[in-house]
Amino acid sequence: MEILTVENLSKNYGNIRALKDVSFSVPAGTVFGILGPNGSGKTTLLGIIMDVLKASGGGYKIFGEEPTNKQRKQIGTLLETPNFYHYLTAVQNLRIAAAIKERGVEDIDRVLEIVNLANRKNSRFSTYSLGMKQRLAIGAALLGNPDVLVFDEPTNGLDPVGIAEIRELIKKLSQQGKTIIMASHLLDEVEKVCTHVAILKQGTLITHGDVNEILVNEDLVEVSAPNLEQLKNILQQLQGTTKVDISDKVVRVYFPSGKADLAAINQFCFNNGIVLAHLQLKKKSLESKFFELTN
Amino acid sequence: MLKLLKTEWLKFKHYNAFIILSSFFALGVFTTNYIVFTVNKNIVGKINTAGLVSSFNPYDFTRTWQTTSYATGWLLILPALLLIILVTNEFTYRTNRQNIIDGWSREEFISVKIALAVITALVTTLLVIITALVFGLFSGTSFSLNGFSHVGYFLLKALSYNLLAVLISVWIRRTGFAIGLYFIYLGAENIISQLLDVWSLKLRADNNIDLGSMGDYLPMNASDGLLSFPDNPIKSFAKANLPTDYTWLVIILAFVYVGLFYFLSRRRIIKTDL
Repeated sequence: MEILTVENLSKNYGNIRALKDVSFSVPAGTVFGILGPNGSGKTTLLGIIMDVLKASGGGYKIFGEEPTNKQRKQIGTLLETPNFYHYLTAVQNLRIAAAIKERGVEDIDRVLEIVNLANRKNSRFSTYSLGMKQRLAIGAALLGNPDVLVFDEPTNGLDPVGIAEIRELIKKLSQQGKTIIMASHLLDEVEKVCTHVAILKQGTLITHGDVNEILVNEDLVEVSAPNLEQLKNILQQLQGTTKVDISDKVVRVYFPSGKADLAAINQFCFNNGIVLAHLQLKKKSLESKFFELTN
Repeated sequence: MLKLLKTEWLKFKHYNAFIILSSFFALGVFTTNYIVFTVNKNIVGKINTAGLVSSFNPYDFTRTWQTTSYATGWLLILPALLLIILVTNEFTYRTNRQNIIDGWSREEFISVKIALAVITALVTTLLVIITALVFGLFSGTSFSLNGFSHVGYFLLKALSYNLLAVLISVWIRRTGFAIGLYFIYLGAENIISQLLDVWSLKLRADNNIDLGSMGDYLPMNASDGLLSFPDNPIKSFAKANLPTDYTWLVIILAFVYVGLFYFLSRRRIIKTDL
C-alpha cells in the first residue's frame, strides 16, 4: 500500500517555480528520505501535503485517498520549525495538539519521556533552548503513536548527543513498522536511516526509489605519483574500473562495490614504471553521489 | 464546534493578556457607566434649566438600555484588541500552520476565530444588560424593556468591531501592524463619516435632498450611528433640522458589513498559503 502518492505537484511563487511537476510515491513501512540542498523545495513539498501551502498544479493522495484533514490527525508531523504557544508550558501545548488530533492526551507523559523533556514539562516554551524546542516538536509528532510520521529536518538545532538520540529513535520507530517521511539536507542522516530516497534539486525531482538502487555504492581508490597526468593515463588502461579522474592532487579510480584490489593496482602501476606515493581505498560516500546527481 | 471552542479555550485561558484585557473591560464597563451616572446625578441634574432638562435621567428605565449601550460602546476597542492579539499570535508563533498540520481544516481554523468574535460580542452584550439593569434599578424607576432595541444595536456594533479585528488580523498577521491599522481605520472612517454628514446637511439645506446621515453608511459608523446618548429635550428640538435617520437602512448596512468581514476573513484563510 502507498502511504503517499504525489502526482505532478507544482508550486510557483510569482515567477519562481519552487516545485516542478514532482511525482513519486511512498510505500508503507519505509523510511523515505527527501534529500536536497537548501531551497530545493523539500519543505514546500511537505507544506503542500500538510495543506499549509496551496499547490499551483498537480495533486497528491494520502493512504490512497483524496487528502482530508482527518488523515492529518493520523500523521505525526514536524514541519520546518517547532510551532508552539510561547506563553504555555510543554504540557499545556501538547494538550492543544492532542485535542486537535483527537488522540493522545494520556500519551503526553510518555512522549515527553521519549524526548527527554519530562523534567522540564511544566516550563514555558519560551524558556526552552533551540534543541529543547525541536525535541518538543518531535514529541508532539509522536502523540497518539501514529503509524506515519513526517519529519522535516528533525535534527535541526540538536547537539551531537541529541542528533544521535533522534536518529536512534527514527530507526526504532521504523523497526516498529512505522512509515517515516523525512526531509533533510544532511546526507549522512539520510544515508544512516533511510530505506528510500527522493532527490530534489531546484524544485525538480532528479530521482527516487530504493536507496540501494539509487545510491549504488562504489569503491573509490585514491592514488598519487609525481606525474598525475601520466598516472591517470596508465590507470585508464586498468581492467575493471568504472571511471578515472584527477581531483585535488590525487587520481581517483572507481570500481564496482567490493571490486577494488589495492595490491593489483600497486603492481599494475609498478609494472608500468610508476612508483606510487599514495594509495588509499575510500568508500564512495553518499555525499559525493549527491553532488554528482545535483551538479 | 464545541470541541473546537474547548481547544481554543486551552490556548488562552492561561494567557496574561487575555486575563488583563478582559478584567479591564469588565471593570471599565462598570466604571464608565458609574461615571456617567454620577456626573449626571451630581452635576447635570443640579443645573437649573428652567425645567427643560431637570427631569432627565439617562439611567431611568427605558433610557438605561440606550445609555449603557452607548457608554459601553466606547470600550469595545478592548475586546477587539484582545481578538487581534489572539488571532495574530497564531501567525507570530506559526501555530496557525501547526493547527492545520495536526488535523484542523482551514474551515475549522477560521470558523473558531469567527465564533470567538461572536461569543465575545455576546458576552460583552450580556455585561451591558447586567449593567443597564443594575443602574436602572438604582435610578429608582420601575423595570421596563422599552428601548431594549439599543442593546441589539450594541450587539451589532460589538460584532462589527470584533469581526473587523479578525479580518485585519488574518490579512495583516503581525500584531503591531494589525493594531495600528485597526486604529488608523477607525480614525480615518470617522473623519470621512463627519465629512459625509456635513455634505448630507448641505444637500438638505441647499437642494432639499434628504439622503439621511451618509456618514452612517460606512462600515464601522453604520453600527456606531445606531447608538447615541439619549436625547434630552433641547437636543430633540434641534434635531428637527437634521437629515432623517434611516435606521432600517443603517441596520441592514451594518449586517451587510458584518457579513462582508466574515466572508473576507474566511476567504483569506481558505484560499492562501499559511
